[in-house]
Amino acid sequence: MNSHIKMTDLPSTDLSRRSFLVGAAASGLVLGYSGMPDARAAAAPAHLEPSVWYAIAPDGLVTVTCGKADMGQHVASTMAQIVCEELGAKWSDMRVQLASNDPKFNDPVLGAQITGGSWSTMMNFDAMSRAGAAGRITLTEAAAASMGVPASELAVRDSMISHAKSKKQMSFAEIVRSGKATKTFTPDELKAIKLKTPDQYTMVGVSVPQLDIPDKTKGAAKYGIDVMLPGMVYGVVVTPPVRYGATVKSVDDSAARKVPGFIKAVTLDDKTATTTGWVVAVANTYQNARKAAEALKVTYDGGPNAKLSSESLFEEAKRLLALPDSGEFFVKNGDTAAAFGTAAKLMEAEYTTNINIHAPMEPMNATAEFQGDILHLYSGNQFATRSGAIAAGAAGIDPKYVVMHQKWLGGGFGRRLDADMMVPAVQAAKAVGKPVKVIYSRENDMTMDFSRPLTYQKVKAGLDGDGKLVALNHDVVSAWPTQRWGIPDFLTPSVDKKGPLDSFTVNGADFFYSVPNHYVRAIKNEMAHNATPSGQLRSVAPGWTFWAVESMVDEIAHAVGKDPAQYRIEMLDGRGDNAGGAQRLRNTLLAAMGLAGYGTKELAKGEGMGVACVSSQERKTASWTACVAHVAVAPSGEITVKKLTVATDVGTQVNPDGIQAQVSGAALWGLSLALYEKATLKDGGIEQTNFDSYTPLRMSQLPEVAVSVIANGEHPTGVGEPAVTVIAPAIGNAVFNAVGARVRSLPITAEAVKAAMKA
Amino acid sequence: MVTLNINGRNLSVEAANDSPLLWAIREQLQMTGTKFGCGAGLCGACTVHINGEAVRSCQTAVGDVVGKKVTTIEGLSAKGDHPLQKAWIAEQVPQCGYCQSGQIMQAASLLAKNNNPTKEEIVAHMDGNLCRCMTYSRIQKAIMRAANEMRTASNSGNERRAT
Repeated sequence: MNSHIKMTDLPSTDLSRRSFLVGAAASGLVLGYSGMPDARAAAAPAHLEPSVWYAIAPDGLVTVTCGKADMGQHVASTMAQIVCEELGAKWSDMRVQLASNDPKFNDPVLGAQITGGSWSTMMNFDAMSRAGAAGRITLTEAAAASMGVPASELAVRDSMISHAKSKKQMSFAEIVRSGKATKTFTPDELKAIKLKTPDQYTMVGVSVPQLDIPDKTKGAAKYGIDVMLPGMVYGVVVTPPVRYGATVKSVDDSAARKVPGFIKAVTLDDKTATTTGWVVAVANTYQNARKAAEALKVTYDGGPNAKLSSESLFEEAKRLLALPDSGEFFVKNGDTAAAFGTAAKLMEAEYTTNINIHAPMEPMNATAEFQGDILHLYSGNQFATRSGAIAAGAAGIDPKYVVMHQKWLGGGFGRRLDADMMVPAVQAAKAVGKPVKVIYSRENDMTMDFSRPLTYQKVKAGLDGDGKLVALNHDVVSAWPTQRWGIPDFLTPSVDKKGPLDSFTVNGADFFYSVPNHYVRAIKNEMAHNATPSGQLRSVAPGWTFWAVESMVDEIAHAVGKDPAQYRIEMLDGRGDNAGGAQRLRNTLLAAMGLAGYGTKELAKGEGMGVACVSSQERKTASWTACVAHVAVAPSGEITVKKLTVATDVGTQVNPDGIQAQVSGAALWGLSLALYEKATLKDGGIEQTNFDSYTPLRMSQLPEVAVSVIANGEHPTGVGEPAVTVIAPAIGNAVFNAVGARVRSLPITAEAVKAAMKA
Repeated sequence: MVTLNINGRNLSVEAANDSPLLWAIREQLQMTGTKFGCGAGLCGACTVHINGEAVRSCQTAVGDVVGKKVTTIEGLSAKGDHPLQKAWIAEQVPQCGYCQSGQIMQAASLLAKNNNPTKEEIVAHMDGNLCRCMTYSRIQKAIMRAANEMRTASNSGNERRAT
């Protein structure tokens, strides 16, 4: 099981390590967890700042500090909404700001500043609720003292505390200004606060307007790329033709020196090994830096990966899979070999996915400035704890001297978990003695992505005489994106005790179907790992594991003459460890079927509906998600997606409209990955360089998307990623139902469909 | 030194005539609402208006806009309340928001000529603008909503002129 998630200790984890402070100061009321040192954090505070989740100013405005990266999921607004519910503030009084990398802003469950995994709401709901409630109690007690009435008779609503009998009332602003709001909560007191029950919610579950949106309609929101510092100069990176492993042999800057404003060419000496063979052209303006970069003549040693291609990575994957002792086991239930021996029918299939690129609209960038001993970094980043340490490594200083100034992220999708952009900014700033803003070109951004790895999976199934799935072997060969971080806590012990494995390559394969004999093996493709350092791309492993599982289950159902949806429902019987989760997934699948009218009518020739259901992202953090895809397939093999019907069980909705936006965006990402996005490696380099050759979904390719959210009062789960993972198999299954063509490689191309139609 | 007319103001900028308008606006004049996305005219994040026409500022040379009126997202409306900006809030369009200045500027050039576009006309006009968060459906709704508001405003006669 994944070691980084301990959901069972969720409410207590933060409280055991921290104490909660409420205090009044002239500047306002501040509420938060005090900065007890966290042994696991890489950086210590390098600047003085009170430890706060939120502050109430004398004017009554409540500013929530969000320790999560906001990349469009409106997580800052969501945190404010959770605080607001328990605090009793008026929504129009709420403001948000983005946290620095001070460890006091670490995630209360994860113990670090990292945003991913669709974890934020589920892991911060309790902490933000208690922070809000503590504020309400403090304000109420102060108001009671001022009014001379019992606190128990006071009502809190819309930033106002009122006493019905005496008709007295005080605003939050007045109470803060009175200076009487002082109270300290011990961890136990904080834990003992009785939170609202869902029937008392007035804010959670309401589609209040997202606080970050107005600025984003005026060009006023500040992203990393928008940072301007006095005396700042610009860096443009020159990257080698090989994705990873090249070294610079020589740099000739004679032509660059003729570019006006040129300052220096800096060859990176990256001890963190995040980048290889990069040179930064530094100049007074971006245009001049660009010209200088173009004028630099750099020669390279291509290194060990310079001949590799997507084909060679697939061949290596097949070789590894064929070895009997490859990899480590993530799941080992029963005895599949014995079950295969007695099975009435065996089936085997291979599924592949190609390299995919994050390509957020804001290209990677960072601005670095040394001020005395302190290194200031300005960027939008999803993993301040690690990225600060990488920046420190690039600077040759202790991580405690790095201050990360978080900005809005112009798209994240996992790309900004990485820290490569920090390295050129830091080393260029150090080399020229000025603040440097480094902005990647789109070509840099695409060819140097920490991509979704190319994957190769083999699934072998054993069926009994009734067509029931009794044994499944699932082997997953890929680069290991999370192992690359070098943080043991994010790895998972293998069940065969062969050492830790990267569960972010196999999550999802530990599904909720009842299959008595079930093995899942994670096999590291070392060649791919080195040649294409992989990252976490929106949904990570479930984006490929469910492609294999949900395609295979469909293939099995067809092979035994059963309706694929019904076949799934029968396996979601909730036996053993699957209790609860399986039933929620079954219900979600039924909801999607009903909403789509699955099986209720004859479809036109060449059309088909396909289903898939997933427990993404991880067993312990699943949002139960199902999709019915309705496609039309032309004789040419070309697919038109007519409609995607998605149902998802998220437990509790904080902002229903925001969830709609996230789930439909995730579903369209799934569609884009299923049909339109493919990157390839050739001669060690990514061949696609811009949006002409790497082609995410555009408006003209938009199908109808219907999202239904099931909120049944369980703990809130994540919504940013799970719907990505359900789309490709639903489309693949729909294509099969439409024209009998089974495609097992992503993206699904018209050529592949046509070829499979003939076969 | 080149003098550009941006959002009704004459501004001087130290830039070669052949350098892209985008970087002069963003980095030199520090009007950062206009975004860099691809540098190749493939994504639309850098869209501004030149004499009312939507163009990609990354593909437009500074020298070519001298004497013309450049409008950026900051100058689309005095108070950020262009019908499209209001509609973008009403429909809660932006996610990461990075492409949205370009989306709004591209849409504004459509509505300036046609305040009653069909869905097909919207798609044809907007297809060059990428949104990696995939907010396309809300963009369409917001354009329809803004068009509706603009028609209502123009129908309400002389007492209230849409400017």
